[in-house]
Amino acid sequence: MVTYILRRLATLLPVLFAAVILTFVANQFVPGDPVLIMLGDQSADTAQADRLRREYGLDRPIPEQFIGYVSRLVVGDLGLSFRFPGVPVTQVIQDGLAISPFLAAGALALAVPIGLALGIFAALRRNTMADTGIIMVLVVGMSIPNFAMAALLVWLFSVQLGWLPVAGWGRASQAILPIVVLAIPAAAYVARLARTFMLEVLQQDYIRTARAKGLRERIVIWRHGLRNVLVPILTVLGVIFGGLITGTFVIETLFNIPGLGRIAIQSIFARDYPVTMGIVLLFTALYASINFVVDLLYGVIDPRIRLEARR
Amino acid sequence: MNAAEAVLEPTGLRDFLRRFVRNRSAMIGAAIVVSIATAAIAAPWITPQDYQRTNMIFVWEPPGEDYVLGADQLGRDILSRLIVGARVSLIVAFSVLAIAMVVGVAVGMAAAWRGGWVDTVAMRAADITFAFPELIIAILIAAMMGPGIPTVIISLALVSWPGIARITRSLILSLRNELFVDAAIACGTRPVTILLRHCLPNIVAPLIVRASVGVGFIIMAEATLSFLGIGIQEPLPSWGGMIRDGLVALRTDPHMALFSALVLGATIVGFNLLGDGLRDLLDPRIRDR
Repeated sequence: MVTYILRRLATLLPVLFAAVILTFVANQFVPGDPVLIMLGDQSADTAQADRLRREYGLDRPIPEQFIGYVSRLVVGDLGLSFRFPGVPVTQVIQDGLAISPFLAAGALALAVPIGLALGIFAALRRNTMADTGIIMVLVVGMSIPNFAMAALLVWLFSVQLGWLPVAGWGRASQAILPIVVLAIPAAAYVARLARTFMLEVLQQDYIRTARAKGLRERIVIWRHGLRNVLVPILTVLGVIFGGLITGTFVIETLFNIPGLGRIAIQSIFARDYPVTMGIVLLFTALYASINFVVDLLYGVIDPRIRLEARR
Repeated sequence: MNAAEAVLEPTGLRDFLRRFVRNRSAMIGAAIVVSIATAAIAAPWITPQDYQRTNMIFVWEPPGEDYVLGADQLGRDILSRLIVGARVSLIVAFSVLAIAMVVGVAVGMAAAWRGGWVDTVAMRAADITFAFPELIIAILIAAMMGPGIPTVIISLALVSWPGIARITRSLILSLRNELFVDAAIACGTRPVTILLRHCLPNIVAPLIVRASVGVGFIIMAEATLSFLGIGIQEPLPSWGGMIRDGLVALRTDPHMALFSALVLGATIVGFNLLGDGLRDLLDPRIRDR
């Protein structure tokens, strides 16, 4: 098991390193001189410009800047913001820090049970009208982009029916639509996989055995079927979570939620690139760690994976 | 239809069409795709009005006689903008697909044929792009390059090629041991010729499946970038941008947001249904994945 963890960890590091390089390079190539952006109206003030350049380390050679960037990252320092001169990126983003993961986790918690239930229901009624209907609903759920879905749902539930607030953040009712919109494609994806895996599981000998020994159908499905569907579903949780994290960029912008996604997008327009890069880096690290944990869990649940990795 | 049946059934274009017509969801998808594509191609002739012409008297005009689907925040005809938007969206999607296909197939072939460090470098590069959530890379590149059509095409091509490279590599690897490849090598055929003339025709079907499944994602990603304001820019219409502009008036004049959302959603549904259908027909082994 230790070798397995170390092997997985070894695949994690290049990804994080690539993210660090990518964000650093991106910071170098972004359009415009950051110092002039910061100075705004006073861009003629060369003394001020020199001072800022020193403060941000922009007067150092590029390799030195890179080493500085990496060594600061190691201690959790994401650098200084351009939009708010002298303010650390960590301070700019701290208010949004909990919001995006909360939205993603909420959507995941909603999507997995609903997706499982729908997928298993469809599998048990294979090739009936109900199955075909569910498949169509799933294709639609997976296809419609989250902001288009949000437009339709906000119009229906907030404008027409007046049940939910249109946008904003702070009250529980304001979290419902964003989480539901995020959850829809994830639930559809889970359901589609669950249906496929359940159909496969139902063909297995142990299901026939369970039925042959007279177990009630409910127990056959829930105890013997579901468990074996859960394992493959677990492996795609990382991918789903990645989709949810990216979804927060759009959903937070749309619903006016002060999370990391909206801060990242606003920072692009404000040319506050250190903030955007910091958030991209955070999300990538989060995504990579989730996938790492999923891989570990998978290894714990299914010993075959561990053994295969050893070879 | 199960896999065994698919193998036993005769192949060929006519048979393919016969099975295609029988696949109901693929037909629905094809119908949507064909109508959107027709509108996109015929856009210069069928738009009822000039998509750029503003008219401040008709700002947020509801659907009616002159403006079939209403007018937008500048009094421009929404139907015309949706039609031109289809053109923009499809041009971007197929450009991305073309670039991703050429790069992906070339890299995948080189990796499979040469092996060694070429393989290692190519597949590590693919792994690393896979390790990021796709849209985040696109957003990062868009932020670097500034908004516009070239940005959209390049950033989406960058996230799309690795998947194609992986598939190509595994398909070529399985072809390498075939007798006809050995024969070509024995004849002294150049590797490039072997790959392009002998191998490529054998991997076209799965590549088409991969491409058709990918179009839906590319259209969605382009719309997302445009929605966020880092994609296609005014005065060109984009469905994503129209939804964003329409959302502002959702309470009083919801027609633009709703029509744009429906057209965008239906288009992606169409491409995905068509892609799923093609996959079921052309590649019975990998189903429902």
